[in-house]
Amino acid sequence: MAGPDPRRGRWRRSALVRAVVERRPATVGAVLIAGFVLLALAAPLISRITGQDPYTYDKFALDPATGLPAGPLGGISSEHWFGVEPLTGRDVFAMVAHGARTSFLIGVLATALAVVLGVVIGASAGYLGGWWDRVVGWTGDVIFGFPYLVFMIALSAVAPPQVPRTLLLVVAIGFFGWPRVARVVRSATLGVARRDFVRASQVMGSPTWRTLTRRVVPNLWGPVVVVATLSIPERIGLEAALSFLGVGVRPPTPSWGRSISDAIAWVQTDPMLLVFPGLALFGATLAFNLLGDGLRDALDPRTAREGAH
Amino acid sequence: MNTHSSPSRRLVLAGLGATSFLAACGANERQGSGSGQSSGSTPTKGGTLTVLVSSTSTNFDPAKSQSLAITSLGLVHRRLTTWKVESGKPAELVPDLATDVGTTSDDGTTWTFTLKDGLMFSDGSPIRAADVKWGLERSFAASFSGGLTYHKDLLAGAAGYTGPFEGARLASIATPDEKTLVFTLARPYGDWGWVASTPAFAPVPEGKGAEADYGLKPLASGPYVVSAVQQGVKIEMSRNEHWSASTDDVRPAYPDSVVFSLGQATDVVSQRLAADSSADQTAFGAGFVSPAQLVQVSSNPSAKGRLVTSESGALAFLALNTRRGPLQDVQVRKAFQYAVDKAAFQVATAGTAALAGEVATTLITDGIAGREEFDLYPTDPSGDPAKAKELLAAAGHPQGLSGLKLLVSQSNNGPAQAQAVQASLAKAGIGVDLQVLDEDAYYAAINTVNADEYDLALASWQPDFPSPNANLQPLFATSAIGNGGYNSARYSSPSVDAAIATAQATVDTDAAAKAWVAVDKAVMADSPVVPLIYTRNSFLRGSKVTNFFIGAFPAYPNYLAVGVSS
Amino acid sequence: MASARYVLLRLASGAGVLLVVAFVTFAVFNLLPSDPAQLSCGRPCTPENLALAKGFMGLDHPWYQQFGQFLAGIVTGRTFGTGATAVVCPAPCFGYSFQETAPVVQLIADRLPVTVSLALGAAVLWLVVGVALGVVAALRRGTAVDHLLGGLSVVGVSAPVYLLGLLGILLLGFTLDVVPVSGYVALTQSPLDWAWHLVLPWIVLALINGAVYVRLARGQMLEVLSEDYIRTARAKGLRERTVVGKHALRNVTLPLVTLFGLDLGGLLGGAVITEKTFGMPGVGSLLLDAVGQLDLPLLLGTTLFAAFLIVVANIVVDLVYGFLDPRARLT
Repeated sequence: MAGPDPRRGRWRRSALVRAVVERRPATVGAVLIAGFVLLALAAPLISRITGQDPYTYDKFALDPATGLPAGPLGGISSEHWFGVEPLTGRDVFAMVAHGARTSFLIGVLATALAVVLGVVIGASAGYLGGWWDRVVGWTGDVIFGFPYLVFMIALSAVAPPQVPRTLLLVVAIGFFGWPRVARVVRSATLGVARRDFVRASQVMGSPTWRTLTRRVVPNLWGPVVVVATLSIPERIGLEAALSFLGVGVRPPTPSWGRSISDAIAWVQTDPMLLVFPGLALFGATLAFNLLGDGLRDALDPRTAREGAH
Repeated sequence: MNTHSSPSRRLVLAGLGATSFLAACGANERQGSGSGQSSGSTPTKGGTLTVLVSSTSTNFDPAKSQSLAITSLGLVHRRLTTWKVESGKPAELVPDLATDVGTTSDDGTTWTFTLKDGLMFSDGSPIRAADVKWGLERSFAASFSGGLTYHKDLLAGAAGYTGPFEGARLASIATPDEKTLVFTLARPYGDWGWVASTPAFAPVPEGKGAEADYGLKPLASGPYVVSAVQQGVKIEMSRNEHWSASTDDVRPAYPDSVVFSLGQATDVVSQRLAADSSADQTAFGAGFVSPAQLVQVSSNPSAKGRLVTSESGALAFLALNTRRGPLQDVQVRKAFQYAVDKAAFQVATAGTAALAGEVATTLITDGIAGREEFDLYPTDPSGDPAKAKELLAAAGHPQGLSGLKLLVSQSNNGPAQAQAVQASLAKAGIGVDLQVLDEDAYYAAINTVNADEYDLALASWQPDFPSPNANLQPLFATSAIGNGGYNSARYSSPSVDAAIATAQATVDTDAAAKAWVAVDKAVMADSPVVPLIYTRNSFLRGSKVTNFFIGAFPAYPNYLAVGVSS
Repeated sequence: MASARYVLLRLASGAGVLLVVAFVTFAVFNLLPSDPAQLSCGRPCTPENLALAKGFMGLDHPWYQQFGQFLAGIVTGRTFGTGATAVVCPAPCFGYSFQETAPVVQLIADRLPVTVSLALGAAVLWLVVGVALGVVAALRRGTAVDHLLGGLSVVGVSAPVYLLGLLGILLLGFTLDVVPVSGYVALTQSPLDWAWHLVLPWIVLALINGAVYVRLARGQMLEVLSEDYIRTARAKGLRERTVVGKHALRNVTLPLVTLFGLDLGGLLGGAVITEKTFGMPGVGSLLLDAVGQLDLPLLLGTTLFAAFLIVVANIVVDLVYGFLDPRARLT
């Protein structure tokens, strides 16, 4: 149910806000996301205030007999809110907070890339049809059939270290994400293209690209917002999974996935090392899913089913 | 090829992160006796010993193997010579198939070995000099490459030789009779006796061994034959009826059968062995116990008593690529000797300094006969960032250095160690970016000189045989740069090359040792690497495994001596 | 006739997808800064030995020629080297791993039982439980049960498999010591141990994948329940159990077949993260091993295999769907 008037933007925003406010899970999701964003933005500031950054080694926070964090629960103290990492004494709270920057930056930018590519490709495929539609469909099949984990692992070995790893991940994760967006957008385009105001524009002799950009695309915002919101947690999860496998962002840049991977070996002796980054990753994914579900129910019941996969 | 090449690559090279247990009381004294004590019995014949291995592929092809003389391959194959490894003593070169460790009639170019009497393959046929020759020639065939290749470069006229299967034979290995082997080398080589202990010196019956999977069903000369293979799962060995104990001084061969259980994740192995359930009581782990597991084990009195730690081990070092930017300047490289916090490296390696291994200052490792201790850059183990900054400023870098690329292997705790080095260099104003690679990709980068090189590399080296020669030549000779060599610092000095050549040609052991110590000092004066620690390795065994010990070299348990109690 | 043509077209397009995947994988891995022959060269490695190993492994040609040889090998098989020491990889040869001294097909076949055990067990669990819970939620629409299941399914969708798996291992494996921590026992060796080692991975996979099924089944069920024939059945006085069991359930399950086929195909192709988390020696860990060891032939083989399963699952799903729903056949 796209907005009734394709030329007005104000109504859409208030609809969004209402959709979120009316649904309690979505509200919870939105608040959580706001919290994480705040944490991510403020991480350097917090580091400056507390003097705890995720890079500095602190052997005085460790038990000299074992290399484990000194003190119970992974060394939780007023100084180290989430404890410290064994063998290094680095502050876990700082790692989680700075890890949020990594996760959100990559998750949001990769989604943005996937959405832009997906909307352009999907809308044009749906509107133009013909050979272009078939090429897009088939390319999507290739990408769906592509074991992207393998590709990413290879890429991480090929790419020289001068290439910023964050950029590489954004491009790779975003690229593999566009076919899904394109599918949703394409089917939505097919629906919009049948509507009267588009027909009218065609009949009046507007150029194709003009009809597409002025009439069709602005009416796709419902499905696009939903698919984007639901994509972000997937992209965040993918970044974490790649870092978990050791091919994501490079140490010492903090990443939740790598923190979780590092915690495996210590799961018996220092379980708190797993708990905090794990909770952060889970919380962020959950928050976006809650918000996305709420938006979907409100804006786009039809993609509810398609979008689930 | 991988079979033993991958495990033994790790065995020999990747001492990185190899860890050890050593409480403040000092495990060195403990480790020799630890095994016998807790099992409370002297080794007896019989039983089944299980070895838990992380690799999924293993073969027993002597041509493709890089296995140490005292680990898996040694159970099946004998070589001309081998190592006598005892707790607390340096490894000793002893005869195996041969009656002595080789005699040279001249300056070390011609070497003669005589086979013992009564040697037989597992099919009952006699082992002749021609079979040893065939085994060596076979290692030149393209399909059987991948093993230790020291002999290939040394045998006269071997250049361009591609194996005996098309009929070509190698004239530099003469077999005047069934018992005698005479080797003619391209140049004098004092350590040829050690080279004769590498896997390719195991006999393969003349004319046989053409099939790619020979390693799964080789004819054995040692006390065990491979009796069953489930690829990727396990290898079973039973007694070789034709092996004669009276000809073999280094293999007591206690168990009746040995099982290699493959694909066992190292951390899981540690957990299982620590728990010591009945199935695991007669097993030991081939992999190092990780830092996290060491903490676990040290809080478990039963497991603690079954942990065996080496006194010393592979040299962990930071290679400074002498061909790159500011690192070409020896004064800049010397700053690194003071900048690196070796104490933090120890903690990152194993939790505590005592667990990780002693701080290293020389290139020849502990446990190698002839080693001399010295320190050209005396400083606190935690480093001296101020002095490093001073040296950098004096060398024309008052702002420090930045953007150096540090290469590190993903395996054995490498990233954690690299981050420790990175953090300590940062204090001295040296900015470093890490490049973490999978183990094989890492070695490929070290082994190949390319345009996009690293500046620094975290590396580790344990010699293939216990001679200072094997410490120094592979890491610092010009010929070891690229093309598969391990000269990770790309260090090239004509005078050091000449000194290495002279030392290699020296047959007299004492004279050779002195020559090697001189090489050690000459290299360190040029500061192509920062020695970090001599990495200790720890291994866990089940409660019914007996006679499980580690000698002064190598830092691995002596598989040949292990037994099980009932 | 039209459907036969459709099937052929579908198969051809699937083959095309595989070809592109193979080509891209081949090209990317040939850009790697390292040389697979290096690993077969021995230590110390001389340039002469390296050249020998390269020639033997067929790596002395440009990569596009190697790709051609690879494709030809699928049809004709390949022979490496000559004479007595030649290594034969029989057709269909999807590459030969020199590091494992075995044809890639054989290596995958060795590992496949693990992945199949993992995927099938989990899939059955999540399909059955997911659909059952979805139906329950629909029937109890708006109640606390519905809300609870809705909440649980969001949690399931949000939890990464490795995180849930690790927590499961920590809780059930280490703390309570009721399930094994890691590893795999063959079904033929001990069916009980087999299931025992797989229980935790099954549950974790089912929780994560099943969440989507709960939602879908619920939505589908609500839609079906509002259809005329259900109302008719109810009006006829059929018992609720019969209505739900006989009429509604079938119509709920059919659309899920699509999703199920795709999920299963992806999982069979190599559950890389799941297998790593639970220490299972399946196709996924074979893939990781291949990457770690720079075993290019093995890597290409496993990648193609994973892509193959995804493509096959797509085709099967399309065909099954077309068969079940005639309206979809010609699209």
